[in-house]
Amino acid sequence: MRPIRVLIGILGLDQHEVGATVVARALRDAGMEVVYLGRFNLPADIVKAAVEEGADVIGLSCHSWEYLHYLDTLLGLLREQELDVPIVVGGSVVTAEDAREIQDKGVAAAFGPTADSAEIVATVERLAGRD
Amino acid sequence: MAQRCSQSRIPVKPVYGPADMVGWSDEERLGEPGAFPYTRGARAHPEERGGWIQRELSGEGDAARSNEQFKFLLSKGQTGIDVIGDTPTMGCLDPDHPFAEHAVGTQGVSLCCLDDYRELYRDLPLDGITLSHSLQPAFAVAGLYCVAGERGISPAVLRGSVLQVPYYCEDTGYALHMPFDLRLRLAVDSIAFCSEQMPRFHAFLEDTYYISDGGLDAIEEMSLGFVEIRGIVRALLARGVAIDSFAPRIAILVNCRMDFFEEIAKIRATRRLFARMMRDDFGARDARSLAVNIAAHTSGLSLTAQQPANNIVRGATQALALALAGAQAIEVSTFDEGFRIPSPEAHLVGLRTQQVIQLESGATRVADPLGGSYYVESLTDEMEKRIWERVLHIEAAGEPRQLCESGWFRRVFQEAMERHARELGDGTLRKVGTNVHQVPDREDVLLRDVAREKIEPCRERIAWLREYRQRRDAGRVSASLQALHASAEDRASNLMPAIVEATQVGATMGEMSGVLRMAYGVPADPFGMLEDPI
Repeated sequence: MRPIRVLIGILGLDQHEVGATVVARALRDAGMEVVYLGRFNLPADIVKAAVEEGADVIGLSCHSWEYLHYLDTLLGLLREQELDVPIVVGGSVVTAEDAREIQDKGVAAAFGPTADSAEIVATVERLAGRD
Repeated sequence: MAQRCSQSRIPVKPVYGPADMVGWSDEERLGEPGAFPYTRGARAHPEERGGWIQRELSGEGDAARSNEQFKFLLSKGQTGIDVIGDTPTMGCLDPDHPFAEHAVGTQGVSLCCLDDYRELYRDLPLDGITLSHSLQPAFAVAGLYCVAGERGISPAVLRGSVLQVPYYCEDTGYALHMPFDLRLRLAVDSIAFCSEQMPRFHAFLEDTYYISDGGLDAIEEMSLGFVEIRGIVRALLARGVAIDSFAPRIAILVNCRMDFFEEIAKIRATRRLFARMMRDDFGARDARSLAVNIAAHTSGLSLTAQQPANNIVRGATQALALALAGAQAIEVSTFDEGFRIPSPEAHLVGLRTQQVIQLESGATRVADPLGGSYYVESLTDEMEKRIWERVLHIEAAGEPRQLCESGWFRRVFQEAMERHARELGDGTLRKVGTNVHQVPDREDVLLRDVAREKIEPCRERIAWLREYRQRRDAGRVSASLQALHASAEDRASNLMPAIVEATQVGATMGEMSGVLRMAYGVPADPFGMLEDPI
């Protein structure tokens, strides 16, 4: 069975990469393939890469509030293209209320600053149907 | 038992004593405060100058809102301002760039043209306080220079600083999407310009805070900082700028993590290394060229989202270390750092932390109060040795431009981020509330409400800028951008006069950056969404 493929990207001009880097490392260590898109993506860039790379899960890292404004567009694009790729959001700025709100919109899972790597790995495995 | 180590993994003994000082010469290692090798401080009597400059990093929304922030903090006793741009501003993009839409003014102030700088400094005593800029240097200097001129204040009296990070900004922090040579040139030209026009202004503020707060240790931080300082100094000398004309205005903005004595030792070792380097490697003769100013931010990375009130204690501990180390300007990262840019409440706590230490603790009654401590002196020597070994190691690895372009520097940052996460995960780095003494989320309520408030993007800036572009004299703007392009093509010229001229006629930072990128053979708009400015 091929490894789980996770796309990790950061939206807009959010410049901090610590969280994205660390999560990418944790997922790789758990045997997954990580396609690291890095910074400076708009929703269309994420969707395009998800298609091209055949991602099982999309991971969005955020250290600014920009993701909140981009999520509707991103979810809309996925729906338009009938892509059933779960989105996981993680970042220092994600509060419990934000997590609830974006999960209501269609985000599969959300992690705030208190999440640990094992929890994130397990969630990604579950969402990729490999738990 | 595991070996005791400092945060930089320096082995530390259970106790230090006279045996650790055998063969140690206080004349060679310490000297007097304010005298070579400046281990004990850049100034002989820091208290006589009123202590360190106290400032909190500010900037939010548009320039007018940020100006209100400055006035609030100044009214509470702040002694200088420190302004940071939002992510578009830091990346040299105008607020009407499609990528900027949701980021305008949320993580700093949105600045792109002369009108913004006029608002930013409105009513501030430009000749009476220090103006510190965490902004892109050439454009910030041009903005300040123009506003001072309009207000009849000689640029020669302006004090403050602007940070320089030409080597590392694409890899950590704010990417400019500019090639190495252009980034270095903007640094060199802004420093050379200020050495003539704004001689009291520290245009050469090496920022090791920003590069290190992803997880570098203190040795990595300072070694990368020294490598960059040396590179910029060499480039200035190659330009024919005399060492003693700019070296007195070199300062370093360092990080201050939680390892109390290591951070103090780092600062003392840095002053000593700097003094020897400037004298022996670069032939500086003016005593002021050897005594580097140390400014500091307390570490944002050391703060936690859990139990944010604990961050106040961290800020106080770090600020005390800085006071004892003789830092000349301090910014305390605020308790809500894990969530947002500072709230007014957190700003005030940061400032009050400094005031309490300065006015109540007596920590700075004497210069270098820890001088002579067996432990501190041993650690200072060890930091000095390790930092310098690493500087030589990096310089031996290749030319900076090549290390940048090959991703060598990026790997250093990457590995440090991963190491930091690993150390937090396995408990090597203990963090109260995160990996020890945690509480359930429902109990973690103190100050969480302040920390969680959000700042909406200042989208009215977008319409404002579009209208601003319409009311400029299009012919003059276009001519000034053409002149900037010509200046950029002439690699021997200084870019600053053309940047000042373009700023004066209303060109925006985004347009000027685009023109500069074009002259260096890269697309004007890094995201390929805008028309070329010329």
